[in-house]
Amino acid sequence: MPPLRQEQFLRQRYRAIAAYTGLIFFLLGFLMVAPLCALLAWPGEAGQAWWFLLPGGGLAALGAGLWRSLRPSEPAPLTTPEGAVIIILAWAAAMLVGAMPLMGAAGLNFTQAVFEATSGWTTTGLSVVDVTKVSHLVLLYRSTMQLAGGAGLAILMLAAFGGPLGVGLSTAEGRERQLVPHVRRSTRLVVSIYAGYSLAGLVALRLAGMDWFDAINHSFCAVSTGGFSTRPESIGYWNSPLVEAVIIALMILGNLNFLTSYALLKGRWRAVFRNGEVRLLAFLLPVGIVVLFTTATAAMFPSLGKSLRVAVFETITALTTTGYSTVGYKGFGAAATLVFILFMLIGGGICSTAGGIKQFRIYALWRALFWEFRRLLLPRSAVSRPEIWDGDNREPVDDASLRQIAVFVFLYLALFFIGSVLLTAYGFSLSDSLFEFASALGTVGLSVGVTSPTAPPMVLWAETFAMLLGRLEFLVVGIGLVKAVRDGRWLICKSGT
Amino acid sequence: MPKSLFIVVVGCGRLGSLLANGLSRQGHNVVVVDRREEAFAELSVEFSGFKVVGDAVESETLRKARAADADCIIAAAEEDNVNLMVAQVAKEVFGVKRVIARVAEPARELAYRQLNIETVSPTSLAGDHVLMSLARDQKENPS
Repeated sequence: MPPLRQEQFLRQRYRAIAAYTGLIFFLLGFLMVAPLCALLAWPGEAGQAWWFLLPGGGLAALGAGLWRSLRPSEPAPLTTPEGAVIIILAWAAAMLVGAMPLMGAAGLNFTQAVFEATSGWTTTGLSVVDVTKVSHLVLLYRSTMQLAGGAGLAILMLAAFGGPLGVGLSTAEGRERQLVPHVRRSTRLVVSIYAGYSLAGLVALRLAGMDWFDAINHSFCAVSTGGFSTRPESIGYWNSPLVEAVIIALMILGNLNFLTSYALLKGRWRAVFRNGEVRLLAFLLPVGIVVLFTTATAAMFPSLGKSLRVAVFETITALTTTGYSTVGYKGFGAAATLVFILFMLIGGGICSTAGGIKQFRIYALWRALFWEFRRLLLPRSAVSRPEIWDGDNREPVDDASLRQIAVFVFLYLALFFIGSVLLTAYGFSLSDSLFEFASALGTVGLSVGVTSPTAPPMVLWAETFAMLLGRLEFLVVGIGLVKAVRDGRWLICKSGT
Repeated sequence: MPKSLFIVVVGCGRLGSLLANGLSRQGHNVVVVDRREEAFAELSVEFSGFKVVGDAVESETLRKARAADADCIIAAAEEDNVNLMVAQVAKEVFGVKRVIARVAEPARELAYRQLNIETVSPTSLAGDHVLMSLARDQKENPS
């Protein structure tokens, strides 16, 4: 019997999927070996190099092999579900293989290492590593993961190798908006803007008083809104207004939607100030700062300057989902904690490096409230067309996109409460559980101490999945898994008969 | 990769979508304009350009599609008159260097040429093709 056409079709599609997955594996392997650059400055750490070379080199070789043997003769277009399958495979490899250097060189167990790797790639910044004890290699590796994860594996792959045609892959990783009307050119532009920010941040931090190594790590982790630090006290170690100012600038740049960043760089101010996310930011930040200042920091610190600085920094680090901190969170009080939780849930800009529900969705729902009111007041036959400024144009917001936003927010909050319940079941207090889980799900990285090397494994696994789901925005994980399982069953059933 | 162009395709019907898909595949920056949002369903997954919903006869729509920056505008709407108008506006108002318009009615090609607009007419292309292949038949077996 000749093979069925559907089977042939699926085999051909999965060859292309495997080839492009291989390309991302190659890139991941390269990224894992890259921190070895630190050996130039600290040759004494060469003994740990194998922990990076073996998994990284192995993954790169596997990827290169897949690509060479299965590459399509000409670039193939991919649909979004196909892109989702690639993204899931790539992230699984990033989490599992990416954990190996941490097990070997930082002495973590499997659960902790996967947690730390996921926290890195998803730009969360929650950590179970004792940064005073590990080598420079490990520290640089953590920052590299955040830098790459912030840009997005699909974006980096498209920018570096071209990759498949169409927007299936970038949409699957939650980067569906483009700067220019071609996906490859758009990804290159995004990567250059991002690299420009990191380099500028690096120089600025060096000038502000950090040494080169700290400047590199903190620049990488601030612009990616990651939040890994090389010091246990995080940014509080420097206690310097200048360092804090540079970090704040980087966090806000990282939190901006790349389209807004692009408009800003091109000097299109009107497009920036009309943008809903920028307006929401301009409203939320002052409110958060005032609440934090009046209810908590004003009484906590002796000098007005210090308490203002803390209020500003902590508000911005929460909303931009970065997770750097200048002080601990004991004694902040209920009102301030609530502001933190709300801001971590709201999160940064859509199509930025930040996490959370995203400011665009909150802004759209906020506007929808008014549209709904107006619709009730208008005569029944009136037709209204809700619009939101997007760049220089007023774009209509149809019911379908509002529906998607509502479903997303519902899922997000449902997961938030389920996860928080799980944490309370392990004996953590209600406010600590809500705080910590909002931090993991929003890929923020602020911690009240639930996440630690001694945390129960189940808590770490729950947070690991929260970080992954928060970064990939749920639906992709669902679509990718369902498609892979369904197609896999089909292929196995057919080849069995 | 050859230098990429910024191309605006007006009309996302059979011809427009074919061109938009092909140009996007080749790596060009493509913006496609159509009056109806449903028309974009014709685009395949290899298309990664921008879509603009609007009537291209209004210059506001062309401004949204950033026609002033375009290297080339292809008017591939259904109506000849729409194409003529889009082509003229693109050339005169937005100063686009290269404008190509589709014309269904071959008799109108002359009028376009007088306005200095490059045209392509599927009707006359198909007609010429049939005439030529008939003539070749006759030459090969003269009965």
